[in-house]
Amino acid sequence: MSHFIELFHRDFIQDNRYKYLLTGLGNTLLITFFAVLIGIFIGFLIAIIRSSHDKMDRPGFLLNFLNLLSKIYLTVIRGTPTVVQLLISFFIIFTSPNASKLMVATLTFGINSGAYVAEIVRSGIMSIDAGQMEAGRSLGLNYAKTMRFIIMPQAFKNVLPALANEFIVLLKETSVCGYIGLADLTRGGDIIRSATYDAFLPLLTVAAIYLIMVCGLSALVGKLERRLRTSER
Amino acid sequence: MKNRKMKFTALALAAACMMSFSACGSSIPENTVNSLADLDAGGKKIGVQTGTTGDLYSTDEYEAKKINTVERYNKGADAVQSLKQGKIDCVIIDTEPAKVFVEKNTDLKILDEPFADEEYAMSIDKSNTALKEEINAALTELKEDGTLDSIKKNYVGTDEEKGKTPYKSPEDVDTSKGKLIMATNAEFPPYEYYEDNKIVGIDADMAQAVADKLGRKLEIQDMAFDSIIAAVTAGKVDIGVAGMTVTEDRLQNVDFTDSYATSKQVIIVRAK
Repeated sequence: MSHFIELFHRDFIQDNRYKYLLTGLGNTLLITFFAVLIGIFIGFLIAIIRSSHDKMDRPGFLLNFLNLLSKIYLTVIRGTPTVVQLLISFFIIFTSPNASKLMVATLTFGINSGAYVAEIVRSGIMSIDAGQMEAGRSLGLNYAKTMRFIIMPQAFKNVLPALANEFIVLLKETSVCGYIGLADLTRGGDIIRSATYDAFLPLLTVAAIYLIMVCGLSALVGKLERRLRTSER
Repeated sequence: MKNRKMKFTALALAAACMMSFSACGSSIPENTVNSLADLDAGGKKIGVQTGTTGDLYSTDEYEAKKINTVERYNKGADAVQSLKQGKIDCVIIDTEPAKVFVEKNTDLKILDEPFADEEYAMSIDKSNTALKEEINAALTELKEDGTLDSIKKNYVGTDEEKGKTPYKSPEDVDTSKGKLIMATNAEFPPYEYYEDNKIVGIDADMAQAVADKLGRKLEIQDMAFDSIIAAVTAGKVDIGVAGMTVTEDRLQNVDFTDSYATSKQVIIVRAK
């Protein structure tokens, strides 16, 4: 027991090492939060473009073009590992000395997540019966309004579990930030590990913090799901 | 229709290229670190490889006192890349790898003033005193018969000496006493790095020479630098040999053999 206390002291108290975990946690949360926002924005936009294109008999010039752009984006983003995308962002695209690492990471993960969210949301939109659209249109709503008031709310409810899954993955995926020297939560643990040479406590603590965050996220989504379900009746 | 699609693809690619180039236009700031005094003045960003002595020293000297910020990278090469792009102001790293980096990058230079002196040794588990004694004896022999010197010269000697005296195991070497497993991080030229898919360097040759003296077969395992001591204490490997400096923190977890090389921590900065 005294050995454990000594280890605990060396890993977290001495030289204020717990601060590595705190700043790391802060960075991880910041990156994840804004990446989720970016991901949702890009995802919904692309999903609407792609599903509108697929549903239309004669998509116009603009829609064809946007659909092609979306497809390229999806192929490139889903076809390359996140770590590689992160390194490309940091070392090739944002070479500016003033580019903050947090910004680079947030953008990269947001753009990455957008691709997955897009396909999840598209699956939701495509799952809604064609009759819903017809019903909306015969009520006198135009295409955009039918989408907004009839299709999207139903689609959103259907994809919620899959979306939650994507955000959990995103939260954990940010652990590769160490590759660009950004001190995220995993990196915080690594820094302690490299200073104290104790692997046990830092790694388990970091794992526990991720677990707590994911549990919190799941609970929030569960609550949202229940609320959406009650509105059904 | 096909033709139209092709056009779109070309357009999209062109747009993507434009976007990536527009981000590159920024200029690299002038070097602001010309001596240790400049670092003491504060407000600088120091790049290091996680868990190296450069990391430990700069953390104690600067980060703990809130003078400069320390940015930690997985590899020394990543820190150097960031330095070249002006994302950090200097890199603190061991002198030999620093020379290799500067040789390859003419826009970088090493400051004349060294950051700190240090001694390299092999790390070994505290319970393994018998092996430690054996290795120390072998090291003493290798120092006395000049083998160690010729191994070093082969990698870091003058231009005439380099590559002339590669270490070769004796013809009749016996490996009857089993394996000697060594953990290293092969991203640290000239001490350990990959050449033709093989790990070579001063540490690799020196460990091979020690293994030959011990009558064991050397096996090298490549891993992250900050995992080496964990691997040694967990008994996954016999020794850690990775240009490792003896420090108080490390001594709390592992033992070290006699030192086999001395080195310096130096500061790399942009030449302009």
